[in-house]
Amino acid sequence: MFWRLLWKLLRGSSGRLVVAILALVSGGMVISALLNLEFDIERKLTQEFRMLGANLVISPGHDAAQMPGAAPSALMNESDAFAAIQNLKDPAVVAAVPFLYIVERADDTPVVVAGTKLEDLPKLEPSWRIEGQWTSSRDDQIPCVVGRNVVQQLHLALNSPLHLSYVGKTAQLTVVGIVDAGGAEDNQVFLQLPEVQSFAGLPGQIGLVQLSVRGTAKSISDYAARLATALPAYEVRPIRQVTEAEGDLLNRIRLLIVSMVLLILVLTALCVLATMAALAMERRQDVGLMKALGGSITRIVALFMAEVGVLGAAGGLVGAILGIELSRWMGQRVFGTAISVRWEIFPLTIALMVAVALAGALPLRLLGKVKPAVIFRGE
Amino acid sequence: MATLVQVEDLRKEFGNVCALAGVSFRVEAGEWIAIMGPSGSGKTTLINILGGLDTPTSGQAIVDTVDVGRLDESGLTRFRAQKIGFIFQQFHLVPYLTALENVMLAQYFHSTTDEKEAREALERVGLGDRIEHLPGKLSGGEQQRVAVARALINHPKLILADEPTGNLDEANEETVIQLFRDLHREGHTILMVTHASSIGNLADRRIEFAHGRLVQVPASLKSAT
Repeated sequence: MFWRLLWKLLRGSSGRLVVAILALVSGGMVISALLNLEFDIERKLTQEFRMLGANLVISPGHDAAQMPGAAPSALMNESDAFAAIQNLKDPAVVAAVPFLYIVERADDTPVVVAGTKLEDLPKLEPSWRIEGQWTSSRDDQIPCVVGRNVVQQLHLALNSPLHLSYVGKTAQLTVVGIVDAGGAEDNQVFLQLPEVQSFAGLPGQIGLVQLSVRGTAKSISDYAARLATALPAYEVRPIRQVTEAEGDLLNRIRLLIVSMVLLILVLTALCVLATMAALAMERRQDVGLMKALGGSITRIVALFMAEVGVLGAAGGLVGAILGIELSRWMGQRVFGTAISVRWEIFPLTIALMVAVALAGALPLRLLGKVKPAVIFRGE
Repeated sequence: MATLVQVEDLRKEFGNVCALAGVSFRVEAGEWIAIMGPSGSGKTTLINILGGLDTPTSGQAIVDTVDVGRLDESGLTRFRAQKIGFIFQQFHLVPYLTALENVMLAQYFHSTTDEKEAREALERVGLGDRIEHLPGKLSGGEQQRVAVARALINHPKLILADEPTGNLDEANEETVIQLFRDLHREGHTILMVTHASSIGNLADRRIEFAHGRLVQVPASLKSAT
């Protein structure tokens, strides 16, 4: 009989309840979209920040940091550094790329040359735009990638030769790619690391390693600490501007989302409250009768609360489904890719909407105080 | 016959208004009592107190050994469910429940529902073909018969009827009164508020009120004081 009564209550007041359920669906939709966004925002932001390039650097140390153009006075052993990275086997490492910088001359113009793993640069710096190729498979040429400023300065083009000289040694390179990095790298020439090591007479030596590591500021710091323990002779440090900006932005977005969720919960509860106040006035007669028939306050209020709970659950479920779609759309608009669906959103949204509906059903709880004799007197 | 209802010096005041001013009488089990008097004389107040819908200011109202005035809220709820069957002038059916569900609602609040018994109760009042109808689809007489079936479904000790024919036409009034005759014949105890002398004359005795006091209790009926 309980469920029969519940069904009849829902049907009998469907006009009024439409308003409440619309409020609950709307609230549930926005809340589930925001929560889904909140749950996925870290992964998305991490992806976005990885576009900014390296967020961790291994260098010889504070005093001997190898700056582009500086003499290779302090260097690292390439195999030691990479052995430590490989030993940690952290799947969060997106790319680990060595660099050795020297200054060579192209004709009479000094040029910063970076020896690196050309094929790994796109993973380290996804935002760099390349015209041509990163590397070449041809054995009869030494490939190089040239920054766009160097191209203009030296009047180069794709496949054009580039002559470099360094302390009496010369080499003829072929421009296989022109890179637009939007920074100092536009003034550099990138070669395969062994070529530069050979030029500089520094086999197996590198100036620094740049890493791109997925994760939060804390997990990146943790990884840096483990790497530092494995490489006590070198300095391992997160690039603070990137990791801190990421953490700061994440916290701001989370605060915004939580504030919005709370605001929407309150507004939804107020809307339900207004509807239920009107419904409570309509139901005073029914409650008076139920009490006259021997209905206990607990049983009558439980019936109304169950009705509101069903409304909340239905509103939460429909809202969650719509909200997931909304979050996907928002993900497309904001990040250019869809936000992943987090299935825990469904029970969470339903629970929140049931709680909001029950909170908004305060006027129905007050029906327990109705006096049948007063109602029947028409007061 | 055993005394089912015993009212002693019962008073009820609403602020400065005295609705019942020291009323005393007794009702034996199986009696049909007509409570009569002008509007505002305290008839409905008496019915409400005897039915546990209201509480007295002072005095005693004892129904089936239970002093209604001493019951707390939950005690009154149990009392109404177990001992009283109400029939109102305005029928007071739940509009979104069918005739059957209105009867089952009383079962639900009493203990457990029994659809077969509820159907039989409606068939007994001549509504076997109106079981699934909503109150809005029933005539006044039919609605009152649903209310009678609902009042009887839990086998109450006392049936309290507040002007049960007040909203009915002559034909429907006769149908409902016939139901009360049948109930009385079966031994039910009935207290019925009515303005109609013709109905009052059908009762075993009449108790007449004026200004919250009893003005007439036939001497031939010794149970009344």
